Amino acid sequence: MDHDELYPIAILIDELKSDDISLRLNAIHRISTIALALGPQRAREELIPFLQESLDDEDEVLLALADELGRGLEDQLGGKEYAYMLLGPLENLAAVEETLVREKATESMCKICTVLVPPQHEEYFVPLLKRLSSGEWFTSRTSASALYAPVYPHVSEGVKADLRKGFQQLGADDTPMVRRAAAKHLGPFTKTLAKEHVVSDAIPVYRRLASDDQDSVRLLTVQDLITIAQLLNHAEVKDQLLPSIRQSVGDKSWRVRYMVANHFVELAEAVGKEIVQDEMVGAYVQLLKDNEAEVRTAAAGQLPGFCKLLEPEVILTRILPCVRDLSTDTSQHVRAALGKEISGLAPLLGKEATIEQLLPLFLLLLKDEFPDVRLNIISKLEQVNAVIGIDLLSQSLLPAIVELAEDKQWRVRQAIIEYIPLLATQLGVQFFNDQLSNLCMQWLGDTVFSIREAAIINLKKLTEVFGVEWAKTTIVPKVLAMGNHPNYLFRMTTIFAITTLAPVLNLEVTRDLVLTTVVQLVGDPIPNIRFNVAKALEVISENLASSAEGRDIIRTRILPQLESLRNDNDADVRYFAMRALDKAAARQ
Amino acid sequence: MNNLDRQIEQLKRCEILPEPEVRLLCLKARELLIEEGNVVYVDSPATICGDIHGQFFDLLELFKVGGWCPETKYIFMGDFVDRGFYSVETFLLLLAFKVRYPDRITLIRGNHESRQITQVYGFYDECTRKYGSASVWRYCCDVFDYLALGAIVDGRVFCVHGGLSPTIQYLDAIRAIDRKMEVPHDGGMCDLLWSDPDEIVGWGMSPRGAGFLFGSDVVRTFCHSNDLDLIARAHQLAMEGYKLMFDRRIVTVWSAPNYCYRCGNVASILDLDEDLRQEYKVFHHAPPDPRSVPAKRPPAEYFL
Repeated sequence: MDHDELYPIAILIDELKSDDISLRLNAIHRISTIALALGPQRAREELIPFLQESLDDEDEVLLALADELGRGLEDQLGGKEYAYMLLGPLENLAAVEETLVREKATESMCKICTVLVPPQHEEYFVPLLKRLSSGEWFTSRTSASALYAPVYPHVSEGVKADLRKGFQQLGADDTPMVRRAAAKHLGPFTKTLAKEHVVSDAIPVYRRLASDDQDSVRLLTVQDLITIAQLLNHAEVKDQLLPSIRQSVGDKSWRVRYMVANHFVELAEAVGKEIVQDEMVGAYVQLLKDNEAEVRTAAAGQLPGFCKLLEPEVILTRILPCVRDLSTDTSQHVRAALGKEISGLAPLLGKEATIEQLLPLFLLLLKDEFPDVRLNIISKLEQVNAVIGIDLLSQSLLPAIVELAEDKQWRVRQAIIEYIPLLATQLGVQFFNDQLSNLCMQWLGDTVFSIREAAIINLKKLTEVFGVEWAKTTIVPKVLAMGNHPNYLFRMTTIFAITTLAPVLNLEVTRDLVLTTVVQLVGDPIPNIRFNVAKALEVISENLASSAEGRDIIRTRILPQLESLRNDNDADVRYFAMRALDKAAARQ
Repeated sequence: MNNLDRQIEQLKRCEILPEPEVRLLCLKARELLIEEGNVVYVDSPATICGDIHGQFFDLLELFKVGGWCPETKYIFMGDFVDRGFYSVETFLLLLAFKVRYPDRITLIRGNHESRQITQVYGFYDECTRKYGSASVWRYCCDVFDYLALGAIVDGRVFCVHGGLSPTIQYLDAIRAIDRKMEVPHDGGMCDLLWSDPDEIVGWGMSPRGAGFLFGSDVVRTFCHSNDLDLIARAHQLAMEGYKLMFDRRIVTVWSAPNYCYRCGNVASILDLDEDLRQEYKVFHHAPPDPRSVPAKRPPAEYFL
């Protein structure tokens, strides 16, 4: 390498020491390039010590450094056997005050732990872990708790016993920050333990943390509870964990109960059928009736998942009464969560119970005053359709949908329109033509522009679902007829609709039906219509240009119209006509 | 896509333009506006809007209800700036539309389009906060001086920000004003931007300290002398979005829903079709968006 090639590297190295933070950041992000240029030996002997010393920097730079050190920098140091050298700077980063930096540093250390070559784990990583675990500040002890799980499988039995003891100490730390970190990492650590140690070591730590006096610690143990339950068999769960489960469900802090409610299905699946029947149903009912709306919302979100584990009989007698209460809950968020999940009960209950028990609740929620509730119900109708069939669905729910389609709030109308293509695919063309097609045309005359726009996009999507032949006989004639309306807004809607539909219509429909109307609107008295005609012609010719006949139509029927619009007395009409002509000319 | 179209897209996302671009946009706008008369002729159909006051996300709501420019032709009757959080973005978007489609949008001066008022009610502070200097405010104020004082649709509907003036009996008297200056403290030009209709006879003192109050007889005479069907004006909050008075000869159109983010009012725009049939389209304020009212502090973390 001659001098010139080394020059950029020299700049990067200079930038590492620059006063300008953005330059230092840039250099850190290129650290592997610098290391490569220096060669393995100098990287080890000069770069690493330099990095170790340069830790008195802005958090932003430290964060970048913590990240880069975990991105395979060992390759530039001479290979895996030198990866341990990266632990030095990372150990210091794991002790800084800024949480983001510490987390990134521990993340990088976990990655390095996987590439270390065997005795190195015990030689370098375990002593480091011990130093961090006994650090004076909570910062290093917090970081330490994340590092037990990755190193544990790689060390000898004696060291393993030490590590289990070390983690136990973190779980009993004086500061809640460290105990929170221990609670967070207990799950992953437990997964690496042999079964006997799960019972002898992990469960005592869990119990200690689960009865912590800080609820911010306790709420993190819910995840640990699930992990431990997954590792044990059902009898052991009953022996070891039942009191803990009861305790968490009835915790005096709503944040803990919220966590339980939020992970209820996972927990129920881990504990096995017997406990579900004996204990979990009662616990779940308790959460559905919780005093706090947040807890009820979270519990409602678990409804179909949990009910899948139950017999229909139990759902009907125990769960459904609570569901009925939730449908009139005072909190709109609870009702919205229920609206999202309640349809999931239909397949579990079967046709008869769905009609008898669930339909009344659907109707109630469809009329909810809060739009999110109504929308959540509509968006899941498919599941109900599959259970009770289209006839019943249409009889009972369609009136409610039609009512929403005429809602005073335009955003509610808009949301319904957006569901129409989905409903159309579910319900089929026959049903659609009978029940919904009038509604779709009615929206084209809405007073709100966004609704007219959504209605047009809806027609395009429907054409994609039902095909051009359907569009030709049903919607296209109605859209074109509006082009003769005395009010310019309707004529405008016609031309907008043509522009939007053009790409999904075929040559025959464009030639025989659409173009006649467009040509007629070229002479409209309102300039806004005329320049939109020019835009429409631009889109139409784009679609016709692919075939010989199409190009012929462009030449004979479209270009003459654009030529006349080019000489319009309105500047905007002339502009859009010129643009369309330019594009057409470019294609010929 | 040319530069102006790009700027419009950027402003629609509520992103400000760099200062040199604002300068050029304002210069270009002045070139256009200087050619316009004090009362701009507009052909129907057109949509008439009242005060916006920097409520950018509600302006987007307005366009969603009324249609976008240039597809819909608009007349904005002033008070684009002050009070709301996004006066810069609001005024620049409207100005960019004006420069891009001069025949499709008409901007009329309101009493807030003035150096004095904007220094008190927020636009000046917003400019210095967003740009670090007052230059953008200065460019915009120079444009304000060139904005038209009124518009007339098909010769039948007169649009003005405030109202009438005892010194102006005929529209021609407005045409004779030399408008290219800061809004004066009295006189015809001041009255057009400041006056309010009221249930009185003849003329009265305005509690605002500028302009006058005027009664139904004044409106009837003015409409008769100038062969008008309707006077459309803004300037006063109307809780229902619009308020027709005096045998439907004058209407207040108000286009800032939930004015100042707390009044709880609805807003409206007046759609005049090709036969000048009036349709008032009422709309609500934009659904809560994290950006529509900037938070003073970052929200607290859910846990911890």
